[in-house]
Amino acid sequence: MNRIITSISIAAFTALAVFSCKPKYEEPTFSKGEIDPSRFVMIGGGHVAGYMNDGLYFEGQENSLANIIARQLAKVGGGNFNQPLVDQSSIGISSNLLSPMKLGYKTDCKGVSSLSPIRIAAQGDLGIFNQNIYSTNALFGNYGIPGLKLADVFSSNSNPFFTRMASSISASIMDDAFASQPTFFSLFLGLEEVLSYAKSGGTTEYIQPNILFEYFYDQVLLTATANGAKGVLATIPDVSEMPYFTTIPWNGLTLDAASNTTLNSIYNPLGYYFTVGSNPFMIVDSTANAFAVRQILPTELLTLSLPLDSVKCNQMGVLFPIRDEFVLDAGELQYLRGVIAEYNQVIRDLAAKYNLAVVDVYDFSKNLKSGFVYNGVTMSSKFVSGGAYSLDGIHFNAKGNALLANEFIKAINLNYKSRIPQVDANAFNSTLFP
Amino acid sequence: MKQIYIFSCILSLFFLPKLSYAQGFQVNFQGQKQQGMGCAGTALFQDGASIFYNPGSVAFSNENSINIASTPIFSNVLYVDSATQQAYRTKNPVGTPFSAYGIFQAHKHDKLKFGIAAYTPFGSTVQWEENWIGRFALTRLELKAIYIQPTLSYRIADVIGIGAGFIISTGNVNLQKDVPVQDSLGNYGHAELAGKALGFGFNAGIHYDLNKKLSVGITYRSQINMKVKNGVATFTVPPSLNTNFPDGAFTGALPLPNVTTLGWAYKATKKWHFVLDINYVGWKAYDTLAFDYEKNTTSLLDTKSARNYKSIFAFRGGAMFKANGKLDLRLGSGFGFSPVPDASVTPETPDANRFYFTGGLSYRFTEKFSIDASIYYTQLKRTAQNAETNLYGTYRTKAVAPGFSLIYKW
Repeated sequence: MNRIITSISIAAFTALAVFSCKPKYEEPTFSKGEIDPSRFVMIGGGHVAGYMNDGLYFEGQENSLANIIARQLAKVGGGNFNQPLVDQSSIGISSNLLSPMKLGYKTDCKGVSSLSPIRIAAQGDLGIFNQNIYSTNALFGNYGIPGLKLADVFSSNSNPFFTRMASSISASIMDDAFASQPTFFSLFLGLEEVLSYAKSGGTTEYIQPNILFEYFYDQVLLTATANGAKGVLATIPDVSEMPYFTTIPWNGLTLDAASNTTLNSIYNPLGYYFTVGSNPFMIVDSTANAFAVRQILPTELLTLSLPLDSVKCNQMGVLFPIRDEFVLDAGELQYLRGVIAEYNQVIRDLAAKYNLAVVDVYDFSKNLKSGFVYNGVTMSSKFVSGGAYSLDGIHFNAKGNALLANEFIKAINLNYKSRIPQVDANAFNSTLFP
Repeated sequence: MKQIYIFSCILSLFFLPKLSYAQGFQVNFQGQKQQGMGCAGTALFQDGASIFYNPGSVAFSNENSINIASTPIFSNVLYVDSATQQAYRTKNPVGTPFSAYGIFQAHKHDKLKFGIAAYTPFGSTVQWEENWIGRFALTRLELKAIYIQPTLSYRIADVIGIGAGFIISTGNVNLQKDVPVQDSLGNYGHAELAGKALGFGFNAGIHYDLNKKLSVGITYRSQINMKVKNGVATFTVPPSLNTNFPDGAFTGALPLPNVTTLGWAYKATKKWHFVLDINYVGWKAYDTLAFDYEKNTTSLLDTKSARNYKSIFAFRGGAMFKANGKLDLRLGSGFGFSPVPDASVTPETPDANRFYFTGGLSYRFTEKFSIDASIYYTQLKRTAQNAETNLYGTYRTKAVAPGFSLIYKW
């Protein structure tokens, strides 16, 4: 009898061990809340398109901001989301017809080889712009058009990123984007306006006044909400915090004793002084003095387009001051940030007027600037090492898009009482190292 | 299962405040008879496991004995991430804590007893599934410590025994996690920190029979600092970043906390015995987990992770029913507070306040040879956001540990 009890007990212990030690997973319940996600359209610039590493290419598009959001909407009833995909075998193309960039080794004028963004080919795949891929059977949902400014959405448009996907030569982006009668939309507009100004070092025309911006934005919303569709509007990030403007240090001019003596003898009469070690670069400023040259201020920014070989080997920023197109000076920055603040006020006001959700991309850019830890990974707006920006220093990489997509999802959930899951941003690629 | 659960709940109500044992990365399987009674037994001498539970009780032994035991742990954790609602599981290998005890006396009825013990009071292997969301916090942790404890126990009076043992602790640690840099194919880097650890401490106790029915025991096991002196850090990263993540030595330390226990045993009748232990575990010692790399770079800095554990109480107890001369049946339960504050909950120890339930039996084949078996069951749930990684989600753990031992006396 006792032997039987013993063996039964031992058998029972073993059975318990084998069958009952896995915690049960309860399937989460997601819900669309007050939105109808069945047909989703997103309009914006390169940041929406999946443009990254200074190029539009298949993998970038697959990981576009719009596509990541659409994939999550699909979990609460979202339909097919069609993108104007570049062929998977294509190398892609940039706004200036170059190929996208990757991280590789580059040898500078001094013969020093180091990790640096390099183009993957001599030029981009021009075939992308020669073929129209519009189809009435699969209307596009992603109207992220690199370089798209708000004023350009109402008329026919010669932007090659649009013409390749346009329904006809005379179609406007508004015509095409709303042809599918979207039930849910997102707008990320105004960013290309401020970027175009900032990238030019403040040398281009002035940014469209906010009164016009408001008028055009209102027109878009009238159409977008005409059938009762809900939407989420994105504010504009502080573009001056993108790595394109923050990577090259203002005081990157390093002097040895000999150069220091030479420079002081040249510039002291103008009131500029140098020391051995780090010094501010010299920049062009027509208002500074008769020679139109001064030292850059700590708060002023240099663009990533600055030809570094000229700086290292040909006295650029020293005897030859850095030209205005590579500098955002104090006045330009003040103007730029003022416009961003005004545009964002317009966006928030219109969101309130139309009762739409707002995703604060401006706050997101500030958080990224200070840096945060996401599931064990430190993210920041630092070039390459920050993990979120692609090699062009302006557009996010796939991981950055995923992080930003999560902000959109949070804003939608908050405003429309939906329960849409976020994505694991670490499952998306950041910069790839050789 | 459900029946056992309900039955044990009733039992644990009966034993308010409840019984249990400590937490964190402690493994509390040092004696099958004690495990059967909620891992309690500080004031009840039963066999060689008292070298661990109370060296003072060992003096009450009346024969030579050898006792070997193992308790395989089947433990699984499910993590559900708050933001994505994605679920990930551990693929833990079966843990195999063991213990071996010997009690010896020069002559029958000697007041002095010698004991030797080897046991594994800390240790676990946590292995998370591939590509899980917390992989930059942890992918695998293997932690093993073996205590060797030679012990002397002396019966200073008929009703009082005192004992103490010196502990030599040797261990291995192997910690792995992914590094957030990707190679040209998108594969993340990986870091492995491996080392051997060594530490010293002691275990002392007093056993006092207040009367024929009631006994009391007090023990103190000291804190042991497990120091890794010549650990090896190995990094797998893209070639262009090799100089940023140089392989090399590291040092680190892990405190294994002290445990103070007050225990009672009550022999209500010849057939029914009850035990109750209260532990105080000095987890406060675990305030920081630091790794000091021999070669630092801008990408590889020494790390100091706040742990800020709190010292905690645990309550454990159980009952034994001597069915007949050959068979004993046992049941027990326990409750332990978690030493881990919310901000320090990590994938390595997804700890929580816990109830657990145990059962067990002994069977004596002959005067000399007997066997014990026990079973332990617990489940935990903890929702927390780690302050260092911001990993935010819910951990659910289930663990079942059936144990078995062989005892030979002469």
